[in-house]
Amino acid sequence: MKSTNSLLEKLDPRTKIISFLSIILCMILTPITRIRDFGLYFLLIVAIGFCSKITPWQILKKVCILIPFIFFIAMFVPFIKEGNVCLSLEIGNWKFDITYEGVWTFLNIIVKSTLSIFLLVTATSTTTFPDFLKGLDMLRVPRLLVMIMSFMYRYIFVLIDEARRLMRARSLRYFGSRYKEQFRVIGYMIGVLFIRTYERAERIYSAMIIRGFSGEALSVKRFRFSSMDILFLVGIIVSLVCIVSGLVHKIEHIRVSGAHLWQGL
Amino acid sequence: MARIIKVSKLNYRYPDGTIGLKDVSFEVEEGETMVIIGANGTGKSTLFMNLMGILDGDGYIEVVGLMLNKTNLKDIRRGMGMVFQNPDDQLFCPTVMDDVSFGPLNLGLNADQVTEASQKALALVDLQGYESRTSHHLSFGEKKRAAIATVLSMNPGILLLDEPTSGLDPRSVSKFINILYTLKSQGKTLLIVTHDLFLTQEIADRVLVFSEEKKPVAVGDYKEILNNYDLLLKNNLVHQHRHRHDEVVHDHEHRHGYIHEH
Repeated sequence: MKSTNSLLEKLDPRTKIISFLSIILCMILTPITRIRDFGLYFLLIVAIGFCSKITPWQILKKVCILIPFIFFIAMFVPFIKEGNVCLSLEIGNWKFDITYEGVWTFLNIIVKSTLSIFLLVTATSTTTFPDFLKGLDMLRVPRLLVMIMSFMYRYIFVLIDEARRLMRARSLRYFGSRYKEQFRVIGYMIGVLFIRTYERAERIYSAMIIRGFSGEALSVKRFRFSSMDILFLVGIIVSLVCIVSGLVHKIEHIRVSGAHLWQGL
Repeated sequence: MARIIKVSKLNYRYPDGTIGLKDVSFEVEEGETMVIIGANGTGKSTLFMNLMGILDGDGYIEVVGLMLNKTNLKDIRRGMGMVFQNPDDQLFCPTVMDDVSFGPLNLGLNADQVTEASQKALALVDLQGYESRTSHHLSFGEKKRAAIATVLSMNPGILLLDEPTSGLDPRSVSKFINILYTLKSQGKTLLIVTHDLFLTQEIADRVLVFSEEKKPVAVGDYKEILNNYDLLLKNNLVHQHRHRHDEVVHDHEHRHGYIHEH
């Protein structure tokens, strides 16, 4: 993570975890029909992004990597979900019906996940993973879970390297024949990787108990809530209350283009 | 000098029945540097695992006057630290500081003491400024030094080092030897497992030779052991291979990483 010395970077990780989770939770609970609310959520996320001093281009670059996955998952929903048909497509002998309910569900997935990803990218760009883990630990997230995440972060690269070495060793001795045999070899490789990982886990545990580990993950780094944290947290909560309660626009329902759009929701 | 470690008739057999150690007996004096040499698979690392109480062999082990058993394992581990051969096994925390402070925190020191001990250990291995670095971003030499710091921060009197110079480039080896000299001058007892005879010559007070039968066959002054060609040859520490000296190619005995003599 490149340091930007921004307001968001200086905040206690707990503040960021609580506020960002609250925003995501509120977004999830807001019906997609309240389009204007999502506009406000977007403005709130832009304001947070502004506090992070990260350029929009940097955020967009990361968001664009993830969006296609969500789009791929959601793109079939308008065709699958049953309901009132709004459009029929005929390609040869194939007939596809797009339903209103399907379109709304598609929008629900795309809008909410895109905004959540924007928030997540901002969070990961301003918080190191070790600080994030410490924040979780201080928020009393089960220690076992935090430790598993910590080990995953530490050893995922070691395991990827190990797997790459195995793949390289195989590819150097494989010349393209006996295609079916290769599935067996890949099976062996997975087995070998599992055994090596297991043995490594044993050695790591030995290294831990030698240094006095008794089941508790301790850390010397301490975080303290500052006035800045409290102000940030209050600001986020007030903004969320305003959006959720409809104080900002006092419109319960939004007319998009016609009453029939609401059918089946 | 007082005796600090005593091992008597230690035997260890792995769960699959393979012999790990056979009738191992030796003693180490306080402040002494004992280098344990032997070919691959002679049980050197297994001995360390037994000394730390990770493996449970048959026999008698005494450390700082305490007989090693389950009740005083914690006390023994407070005074004796072990550095593993592979630093990736030793560095399991997200950052270097987390790793170095892991031991002192578990010893029950307060935050200020832990920070002081960790900074001191990092300074000793020349890794100041690496506190917030993630371990997997370090070079192999840096990882090795960070691994030593994780044990030094606990300030143990005895240090067990498993193959400390394996896989290091010459500059890293010389840095490592400097660290070992510093530790030696601080009065620490060092037990080093290696088959690097150059390191042995540089640092050892006494040498314990392990045979391929998984048992010690000789113990003595480093000069006496390193000059015993027959002993080294028999225990796979010296070998014969072809050498080229300008235009002349011939066979003769050669010591791994040691002074080339004719």
